[in-house]
Amino acid sequence: MTKFWAPSRRSFVKGGLAAAGLSAVPFSSALSAGFPDRNIKVYVPTREGGGADRNLRAFTGVWKKYLKTNFEPSFYPGAAGRVGYETYMGKAPADCYNLLFGNMGPEMLNWVVKKPSFSLDDYFYFARVDVDPSVVFVSAKSPFRSIDDVIAEGKKRTLNVGTSRLAHPASIGILAVGEHTGAKFNLIPLSGGKNTIAGVVTGEMDLGVLPSGSVSKKGVKVLRSLLVFDEKNRLGARLSSFDVNAPTANDHFGTKLPPLVSARAFAIQKRAVDAHPDRYKAMNDTILKVFGDPDYKKAVLKTKAPWENIRYGDAAACKTYAESITAIGERFKPLMTGKKS
Amino acid sequence: MEFDWDIFAPLFAHTLTFWWVIIPAIFLGLVVGAIPGFSAANTIIILLPLTLAMDVEVGLIFMVALYCSSRMGAGIPAILVNIPGTAGAAATPLDGYPMTRAGKGQQALAISFVSSTAGGLLTTIVALLAMPWLAQVAFYLHSVEMIVVMLFGISLIATIAARDTLKGLIAGFLGLMIGAIGADAVYATPRATFGFLELYDGVPLIPALVGLFAVSEAFLVIEGETILSGKGQDLMRKAGWAETMEGVRAALSRWWHIVWTSLIGLVIGVVPGAGASIAAFVAYQQSRTFSKTPELYGTGHIEGLVAPESANNGVTSGTLIPLLVIGIPGGATAAIMLVVLQYHGVTVGPELFIENPELAYGVFTAMAVTYALMILTILPLSRYMSRVTMVSTTYMAPLIIAFTLVGSFVPREYLFDMYLAFAFGVLGYIARKTGYHTAAILIGVILGPLLEQYFLRAMKMSQGDLTVLFSSSLANILWVLLILSVGFPYALEYRRKRLKERE
Amino acid sequence: MTGDSMAERREKKSIGGDLVIPVAALVFTLYYFSTILDSPWTAQVSAFFVGAILIALIAAFLVKSARQIIRKEASWHFDTLVSPPGLVLRRLLLLVLTLAYIALIEWGGFTLTSFGFLFLAMLLLGGGRNFRLALLLSVSLSLVGYLLFIVAFETRFPVGPFEALMKPLF
Repeated sequence: MTKFWAPSRRSFVKGGLAAAGLSAVPFSSALSAGFPDRNIKVYVPTREGGGADRNLRAFTGVWKKYLKTNFEPSFYPGAAGRVGYETYMGKAPADCYNLLFGNMGPEMLNWVVKKPSFSLDDYFYFARVDVDPSVVFVSAKSPFRSIDDVIAEGKKRTLNVGTSRLAHPASIGILAVGEHTGAKFNLIPLSGGKNTIAGVVTGEMDLGVLPSGSVSKKGVKVLRSLLVFDEKNRLGARLSSFDVNAPTANDHFGTKLPPLVSARAFAIQKRAVDAHPDRYKAMNDTILKVFGDPDYKKAVLKTKAPWENIRYGDAAACKTYAESITAIGERFKPLMTGKKS
Repeated sequence: MEFDWDIFAPLFAHTLTFWWVIIPAIFLGLVVGAIPGFSAANTIIILLPLTLAMDVEVGLIFMVALYCSSRMGAGIPAILVNIPGTAGAAATPLDGYPMTRAGKGQQALAISFVSSTAGGLLTTIVALLAMPWLAQVAFYLHSVEMIVVMLFGISLIATIAARDTLKGLIAGFLGLMIGAIGADAVYATPRATFGFLELYDGVPLIPALVGLFAVSEAFLVIEGETILSGKGQDLMRKAGWAETMEGVRAALSRWWHIVWTSLIGLVIGVVPGAGASIAAFVAYQQSRTFSKTPELYGTGHIEGLVAPESANNGVTSGTLIPLLVIGIPGGATAAIMLVVLQYHGVTVGPELFIENPELAYGVFTAMAVTYALMILTILPLSRYMSRVTMVSTTYMAPLIIAFTLVGSFVPREYLFDMYLAFAFGVLGYIARKTGYHTAAILIGVILGPLLEQYFLRAMKMSQGDLTVLFSSSLANILWVLLILSVGFPYALEYRRKRLKERE
Repeated sequence: MTGDSMAERREKKSIGGDLVIPVAALVFTLYYFSTILDSPWTAQVSAFFVGAILIALIAAFLVKSARQIIRKEASWHFDTLVSPPGLVLRRLLLLVLTLAYIALIEWGGFTLTSFGFLFLAMLLLGGGRNFRLALLLSVSLSLVGYLLFIVAFETRFPVGPFEALMKPLF
């Protein structure tokens, strides 16, 4: 049905929301010799239409200009992303024509909670696209004006904190704050960002923790932000409460937490890189060009995602981040699994 | 946010001029609603390129029309071939299908169309008038209250079990147990997944529905020439326009029934996360409780068809209220609409009524117009649709198997789900052959995980204190109502017996 | 089997079939329990609660059935499950066809496999007398399915020779 009226869904995705002009999408440029001579398939372990989808469309919409090929995303949500990873590692050929676009923060914590069927050394993240720091937020109607109000109340009674799930950097952030200040927090996993916002707005939760992107999008009239888990509050007034910008946890409490962020990045099988170092290099070179392209900024802003969160990181940066989040995850493992280990 | 007639009246006329979008959307919605596996939500996702390319107003009207009509479409196969097109229509075959078998498929369709339309129109108007107040429901129905609402639906298992209590309860509790497969809602510990990653998120609804109802049905109907009873075939052959009118009259004469069951749907729809299936089950259960002839339910009773169909259309209006008023979608389709609105730079929430009042009210006028156009287009078709039941089972059974198995693949696109539907088909076949009610199993599979999720949330919030279940006055009122509604039929029965004895 | 015992069986309820669901449910519940023995309380609470009730219900049912058998009101036979007897073979073959359909779709692709299933199943149910109508219907239905699911809705169905052949067209 779609065929007759407009470019189809998947070819549309290839074109990228970014390019937005809903013109027909050019077909793969199979003419150029060497890599790539066909479409690149991207495995996404989350739902179609979700944050990763938007993010990926914006990115590949520009990347295809430089790599001269189209991207075919396919979505494998399920079991908190595990299905996507297992499918990618289990079924995708290791030829650099198959990539995975995942969220390093929550997904590394997945492996802390339960090891996957493949070895974690068999793949690595090589290009981080964005960094979305975790934020502590309340409903606009909440009595809490600042994080200090929250801590003071949390010392008197246990506060219920909505989160998308326990194994998430945001959950770890509030637990770390509780550990540091002595305030008591009871994490309530509400499966997903939308439900978490609903839980906070309808007043069932005292507060919530989520990545900044979904909180800032709602606007301060709906949600006020009290604390950011990053090196600094890059979004300023978009993450604020009563005109006071949310401070960072490390500044405010003197803690030494690593940035607790969701970070979307491309990953690839190690075997593919070993077998085709030239292809790997071609991808890395072209990725760098995307970040400098004004079209990419336009595409990101069109998705309403904050441009400040777009921060490239290479394979080394990804490795450092993955290690730091795994380390802090191990520390809070009993709280994420409910088992005393 | 108060209702303003000056905005509404011209808006209605204006929306009517979009008939060229609405009518194709209605037909598309009826088709996707009728195929298990497709729903308004995933159709809108599939058609995103189209929807995004449209002007925001046209796109919104298109989505709303598709949403309303898919709800109605889901009832058609539920009535005619015992296969609910979506989980929201899972209570429809309880009385709709027995009517079809008796050769009254055309009347049943007409009843379903009229109650859907009337329920949908009424709740649209109520939603429009009472939007600010209705949005408050989400602020009061928290997990504790939702536990009781779920129990209203689950108590339907006991109702269904009335004929053979032990078998009915075993079926229902087996359903609950199957529904509990998958990661728990707090610590995500996988349970009884047989090692399949595909079951981590629980048993997917569509394969369960397809297996229990459709596949098992196909293996059963081959016992007869058509799905109709002998008498039913005679009736069908003679049927003309009069039967449609008979259905319309039957539904309209139960206008009060439509009113209150659709309002149940509206209120449940407002709560984020609750959906059409729970509303339909609750409405059916309530309808039976307050009926003078509860023993007729399940045999092709008109009220048993009116209740779930008006209720699930009431949900449609309900899910849009929190989306528009507080910016939180009440269901999956509303969530996709949010994506489209955001893409067009429209902020939903309280600001919407100040910045874009025509858009905010436009959603509901679009619903009203859709229902008005829909009943005009679909009612005449019921005569022809019901002819499906005359098709020989030689062709019907393979068709049902192939297309519903395909449907079970569609939502998640896993081949695994086709095998799962097959397994549920075998379970459904055995259950039906040996007198276990598949609807009781399905209620468990659908409502069990929701109940557990709300229960665990309440328990985690209270840190294991069971008294939290009675901690709010609204919840306590609901508990009392629940006990009354479960006990009421028994009390009535007791009184009847006593009266008889005295005579 | 003598004529007498046949008559006797007809009078008695055969409850063998009725026991399939409870026994399967019991096995499943015990398996379920085995997967959550050392899980946190959140994973256990509702499962143990529901499972315990289910086991109690099954126990009651088994006791009831045993009593019926002891009193000779019922027999162990499974005929409710497979009745009517004349249909057993056809039903089994349809079951095999259905399973083969799912298993082969990965190799044959959506359209060809659907055609094969529809055609064979229609022939089977029609007793082979309806060759032309079955062929016509299965060809047209699988083509409609192809247009609807693969071309229009672009579902990720396994691709086979037919889809590969048609690809340049769409």
